[in-house]
Amino acid sequence: MIETNGGINRTASIILIAGIIFILSPLAIALLVATQSYEDFVAAGGISLIPGRHLIDNIAHIALETNLPRQVLSSIIIATSVSAIKCAFAFTATFALVFFDCRWSKLIFALTIATVMLPLELIVVTTYQVVANVAMPFNWLVDLTGLGFLMERLGGVAPHLEWNLLDTYVGIAAPIATSSTSVFIYRQFFLSLPRDLPRAAAMDGAGPIRFLIDILLPLSKTPLIATFIFWFIGGWTSYLWPLVAASSSDMQPAIVGLSRLATSEQDRIPEVPMLMAGALFVSFLPVVLIAVMQRRIVKGLNLSEK
Amino acid sequence: MGNTIELDQVSKAFDGKTVIDSLSAAFEDGEFVAILGPSGCGKSTMLNMIAGLERVSAGRILIGGAQVQDSPPKDRGCAMVFQNYALYPHMAVRDNIGYALKVAGVPKLERERRIVEAARIVELGDYLDRRPSALSGGQRQRVAIARAIVREPKVLLFDEPLSNLDAKLRHGMRMELSQLHRRIGATSIFVTHDQIEAMTLADRVMLLNAGRIEQFATPHDLYHRPATTFVAGFIGAPPMNLMAVEGDGATLCLPDGTVLAHHAHRGPVTLGIRPEKIATGRGALTAKLLYREDLGSHSSLLVRLPGGQTIQIASPFGTEIGALDEIRFDFPADQIHLFDQKTGHRADT
Ligand SMILES: Nc1ncnc2c1ncn2[C@@H]1O[C@H](COP(=O)(O)OP(=O)(O)O)[C@@H](O)[C@H]1O
Ligand SMILES: [Mg+2]
Repeated sequence: MIETNGGINRTASIILIAGIIFILSPLAIALLVATQSYEDFVAAGGISLIPGRHLIDNIAHIALETNLPRQVLSSIIIATSVSAIKCAFAFTATFALVFFDCRWSKLIFALTIATVMLPLELIVVTTYQVVANVAMPFNWLVDLTGLGFLMERLGGVAPHLEWNLLDTYVGIAAPIATSSTSVFIYRQFFLSLPRDLPRAAAMDGAGPIRFLIDILLPLSKTPLIATFIFWFIGGWTSYLWPLVAASSSDMQPAIVGLSRLATSEQDRIPEVPMLMAGALFVSFLPVVLIAVMQRRIVKGLNLSEK
Repeated sequence: MGNTIELDQVSKAFDGKTVIDSLSAAFEDGEFVAILGPSGCGKSTMLNMIAGLERVSAGRILIGGAQVQDSPPKDRGCAMVFQNYALYPHMAVRDNIGYALKVAGVPKLERERRIVEAARIVELGDYLDRRPSALSGGQRQRVAIARAIVREPKVLLFDEPLSNLDAKLRHGMRMELSQLHRRIGATSIFVTHDQIEAMTLADRVMLLNAGRIEQFATPHDLYHRPATTFVAGFIGAPPMNLMAVEGDGATLCLPDGTVLAHHAHRGPVTLGIRPEKIATGRGALTAKLLYREDLGSHSSLLVRLPGGQTIQIASPFGTEIGALDEIRFDFPADQIHLFDQKTGHRADT
């Protein structure tokens, strides 16, 4: 009995250690390279694992000479908005889906989940067009109904609205702030609550909104925090859409800024140590967030009441 | 008018499946009524319709003479105790009890006074600041009751409130509920599938079967004058023996000719007799003992009649009856119930 347990423990430990090495080695390499100077790096003729003495210099260069600090601020704003919008919409949508009897709720839920299969990468061109002029659907509708033609006849000008959200935080955050995965997570959580809870609230005289605010919201603190952090990091690391939507350097999130560091000058060996230092700089906040909140994340994604 | 409740041809169907079928009944002011029936017969649905948690498909519900079938729960003056208590897990006991008052906008001081009073009635005074998760099952039950009575409702509704408690606690809680009802005086409806709870607590019992009332009467009548074979077979443990017999105007005989009892009935009929009303140790009938359980106070016997039917007998005799004997017994004429074979309704008056 005891021997078997020991054996299992030893095997488990070995597997865990192997896993940790596998996960940590890229980070270790990044950290080691970030300590080297450009000259060391070029002299070594590639990535070498000898620690250098230039970590502080490299970080200082990133912090003082590049636009990354400003872009980290953009990242914070974008990631927070993305995450907050995701959580708020998913929460209210799930509330409607779970607590209101509707013949279509199963279908609506299925459709919501189906949007997982429509990643933004697939519709990036359309999304760009819409964000470039948010009034586009309105214009299209005006044209379609013949209203535009009518107004051109009467007033001389056809109504055509322009509202460009490119290179604004809203334009960058909103298109990536949909999350059917959260709907799924919240739904599982809501279904794990006592079935009679909304009925008890109804008997106590609380309407749906009161129930949402007084009962459901406080009870959902754990899954809300977990998904918020989750999507915050998702927003932080999103790359393709911000790259497309943000044209000015200040509006770009840090991840996009980081990739620009690599391609600063052509015909030159990339400044890999500086790049690694930048990567450390950019990932500092998410890593701290995960380190501080990891117990809550695990608890919240457990999908149960406690 | 008081706090009477009237159900007038109330029906409920879920997706075309009828659960409550044109049910009419009246509950008197201050009455304690139990709705009893097998699980799935529509008891909770009935209660939810009175509470306003479920809409009626047809019919009217009147509370205190006013039609309420289209009103939301909060306008009906009902409070409810749920089977799994449905306490708010994130609120202290105090806030659980006082939530309805808070929603209703009762001022803080007044609220506090009523919370303390309700907690005192259910003897929860020391636990006001605890969370429900730090309470035992019985204590949670008390919180649920306090939450219901704190609003001084006209009508108290209980949906199987004791079924999650262990047997000993259930007995104590039964007594307390009875006292509580006398003290509060609200018209109370208590849903249960446990006949002992229904029989001991209620002034009257509504026995439901498949969405219809089988009998709505006092516990005494339910036991002594069951209206249908369903009631006869549901009430009592073990339930009434039922057997098909033929009456010739003087006697009731089994198909094989065995005379069971003397009665003036003519024609086929279902004879019912309670196991504990069969006189043993003497009499004209004999049967073979198949199985016996000695319970101290009495013996529970399973015997086979000459015609092959098996019946239950509860005999006060214990060890006097030999191991596997022929038993002599008798059906006393005044303990016989007769039911129509087709409808199952009571045939004797
Ligand atoms: N919301 C619902 N939708 C569909 N069927 C339901 C619903 N609620 C109850 N039923 C059905 O109605 C019948 C009676 O249910 P219920 O009133 O809960 O029974 P009881 O409380 O007597 O056990 C059951 O067959 C149940 O399946
Ligand atoms: Mg029920």
